[in-house]
Amino acid sequence: MLLNYNQLGSLKYVLLGITGVICLFLLLPVIFIILLSFGSSQWMIFPPPGWTLRWYGELFDDPRWFEAAFTSFKLGLMVTVLSVILGFFASYALIRGRFAGRGFLRALFMTPMVMPVVVVAVALYAMFLRVGLSGTWLGFVIAHTILAFPFAVIAISNSLERFDKAIEDAAILCGASHLEAIWRITLPSIRLGILSAALFSFLASWDEVVVAIFMASPTLQTLPVRIWGALRQDLTPVIAAASSLLVILTLVLMAIAASLQKVLNR
Amino acid sequence: MTSSFLSIRNLRKSYGEVVAVDGVSLEIPRGEFLTFLGPSGSGKSTTLYAVAGFDEITSGDILLEDRSILGVPPNRRNIGMVFQRYTLFPHLTVAENVAFPLRVRGQDRTTVKKRVDEMLALVRLSNFADRMPAQLSGGQQQRVALARALAYDPPVLLMDEPLSALDKKLRDEIQIEIRRIHQETGVTILYVTHDQEEALRLSDRIAVFNHGRIEQIGTGEDLYTKPATRFVAEFIGDSNFFEVATVASQSDGRARATLPDGTVMDGLVTHRATSRSERFELMVRPQWLSVVNEGGKGIRVTVNDVTYLGDSSSALLETSWGQAIWLKGPAAALRGLTAGQTVMVGWDFAKSELFEI
Amino acid sequence: MALSSDRNFRLALPALVFLLLFFIVPVLALLLRSVMEPEWGFQNYAELFTTNTYARVMFNTFMVAGLVTLISLLLGYPVAWLLAIMPRGLANIVFSIILLSMWTNLLARTYAWMVLLQRTGIINKTLLSLGLITNPLPLINNLIGVTIGMVYIMLPFIILPLHATMRAIDPVILQASALCGAGKWQAFTRVLLPLSLTGAIAGALMVFVMSLGYFVTPALLGGTSNMMLAEMIAQLVQSLLNWGLGGAAAFVLLSVTMLLYAFQVRFFSGYADIR
Repeated sequence: MLLNYNQLGSLKYVLLGITGVICLFLLLPVIFIILLSFGSSQWMIFPPPGWTLRWYGELFDDPRWFEAAFTSFKLGLMVTVLSVILGFFASYALIRGRFAGRGFLRALFMTPMVMPVVVVAVALYAMFLRVGLSGTWLGFVIAHTILAFPFAVIAISNSLERFDKAIEDAAILCGASHLEAIWRITLPSIRLGILSAALFSFLASWDEVVVAIFMASPTLQTLPVRIWGALRQDLTPVIAAASSLLVILTLVLMAIAASLQKVLNR
Repeated sequence: MTSSFLSIRNLRKSYGEVVAVDGVSLEIPRGEFLTFLGPSGSGKSTTLYAVAGFDEITSGDILLEDRSILGVPPNRRNIGMVFQRYTLFPHLTVAENVAFPLRVRGQDRTTVKKRVDEMLALVRLSNFADRMPAQLSGGQQQRVALARALAYDPPVLLMDEPLSALDKKLRDEIQIEIRRIHQETGVTILYVTHDQEEALRLSDRIAVFNHGRIEQIGTGEDLYTKPATRFVAEFIGDSNFFEVATVASQSDGRARATLPDGTVMDGLVTHRATSRSERFELMVRPQWLSVVNEGGKGIRVTVNDVTYLGDSSSALLETSWGQAIWLKGPAAALRGLTAGQTVMVGWDFAKSELFEI
Repeated sequence: MALSSDRNFRLALPALVFLLLFFIVPVLALLLRSVMEPEWGFQNYAELFTTNTYARVMFNTFMVAGLVTLISLLLGYPVAWLLAIMPRGLANIVFSIILLSMWTNLLARTYAWMVLLQRTGIINKTLLSLGLITNPLPLINNLIGVTIGMVYIMLPFIILPLHATMRAIDPVILQASALCGAGKWQAFTRVLLPLSLTGAIAGALMVFVMSLGYFVTPALLGGTSNMMLAEMIAQLVQSLLNWGLGGAAAFVLLSVTMLLYAFQVRFFSGYADIR
């Protein structure tokens, strides 16, 4: 009866109470930030004495914020492309291949997701300093691709597993070369998986802080790096505005990803 | 040696220790409908896929119009294939599916359109040109797959149990379609199935596979009336295998057999097996048995059960030595039989043959 | 039926080379430096464990991680329990809230806490106005703030897998225990708790491992005098350019992480497949 909602008795209200408090606990800071970004107090007094769009104005006026956002965006796109391409071929090998050590290879591909990010960041930082890639676009793209890659592999592998190999073979018998068959038949058939992979890769890069801090330079900063820097110095509400925008963008992308998953699992 | 249209010479395919195909040879004339018949794991699909070019073979050769196709990759062999699973391209319409092999070959729009229309008319699905595969039934999907496979006029069409996923009635309908298309196009067809009825319906010749080898190849009638091995005798048509007490060779190469109840039969054809066990069984088809009068030529049996099947009836009988056998005949002839009855059943002794086990 | 399976392996090569070159090699190089700089030997590790400051940091890290795990478990358990048995509509609302907080940008969430926990922040103000305290509590720039912030981040990671485990328990088992005469408390301690334990431990392991290596939240909510491991590594490397020591600390973090991860995979795989 403990696992029956209607038979819990008074215990139900205890659990409901705790859950309610926790939900509030989880929800409030998010709402708080969004509200703060519209508050007129510079010291973020809450409740704010008035409401204003001033901080958003400052945000959009400051070219450095815009630059940082643009950098994040460009980086995200590049990482997405590289991650999806590498991820597709890796997934294809894992799913269609019949060589020994597939399990080991898969585990290896997942490792960047499992390791503490700071270790990855520091290791890459060390290497890039040596080879002169520190603070460069190339270094940044490489670093973020390493982090995004496991997500791409997972998303594409899922799709590929469901795609019957016989269809690809039928295309080959129809006269297409293996690559042609993959390009004209397999890829369009798993496009939802590829889209998922792209979305998750983009988000992995867009939201990433730790590695970005190490890969950045004064002239090359992503949005999270900029926010990080600002947070260490002062706490102006402009950061609240920037954060709110980040939140909304991530939420939109996540909602798209979720509905994609639903379509995929149909 | 006259060369045939399609020639498979001593094909061997092994996966490590396991030998899937063990020395298969076939000479197939142009336009023939040849079925590979056998249980799963008998090597029939593996042989088919070797012709398609999907797996490297261990040894042997495959020649199409006198030229070996072994080195040719599957996308260049110009062979058509319909699979057991539905393999229509899910993101293309029916017409685009059929057009795909032609597009890949770089043919121009008008030629492609004309050919697609022809093919869809051939499989009687012209009205479905703009539908997506997901909107088609299983039978329709396989017909489109057939149209696609024939679109580029391949010399050989391979079919790997294409109807096994469909229900019986649909299967029967499409079998008729396949036969008609074969007659209209004259394409050489290699067809794989485990269903002997399907094989008998569709084929010019049947090759019976067992454990990676061909046990016998011939027309359906050949295989039914003159099976070469016990396996073929059992696989095609119904069969009883009577226990035999002793077998003695006769001067004309035939044998005399004595059944456990003492009945003696002379002049029997024997089929030896590789086992060389010197133990034999007598093959008697249920359809050959009939109830005879007391004192007639035959054996005494007890009736265990009689089943009415509409146009025929089948009776489960027990011999005096305890073996269960079947009798099949017109319902009228078996009407009087009841369980527990003891009767004599006889057959044309000359038809039954001995098979070494 | 395959088209030359070893050709398929070749397709994995670009990714493999990429990972080897830009992931495996750098990490190994870093670890190598920990035993090479300033000279060969394990001095860096010795220094790490014996020097007061560094040992303190490691102690703080493990302590905070443990505390965060414990608190998250205690708070998250009832939520997971309820979530597993709630009616669909209500459950979806709770789910959405949890997912929303998970997907919100980490910096934004940490920033929110920075503001909330200030001396002049809303929490202190509320407590003061309610008369519960007379002076504002120092909730930030110390391990209390870090713990609060981390619990906030980690709660969803306990709740979601744990609720999945609880969902998988057949309610009939508890009905049966009631029929056998067990009261609520007994049913809980003897049936529900043991059955949900594996899910709880799996979740706890994952949260512990994540907390050990966390960088952003402890760095922002903690003070310089109570740094945690990740920030210390960063500082050693970026500011102090002490690659040997930094590498050593990184290796300690890495090995503990991988060990616990391997342990979890070996004994609890399938329970916490959330990442």
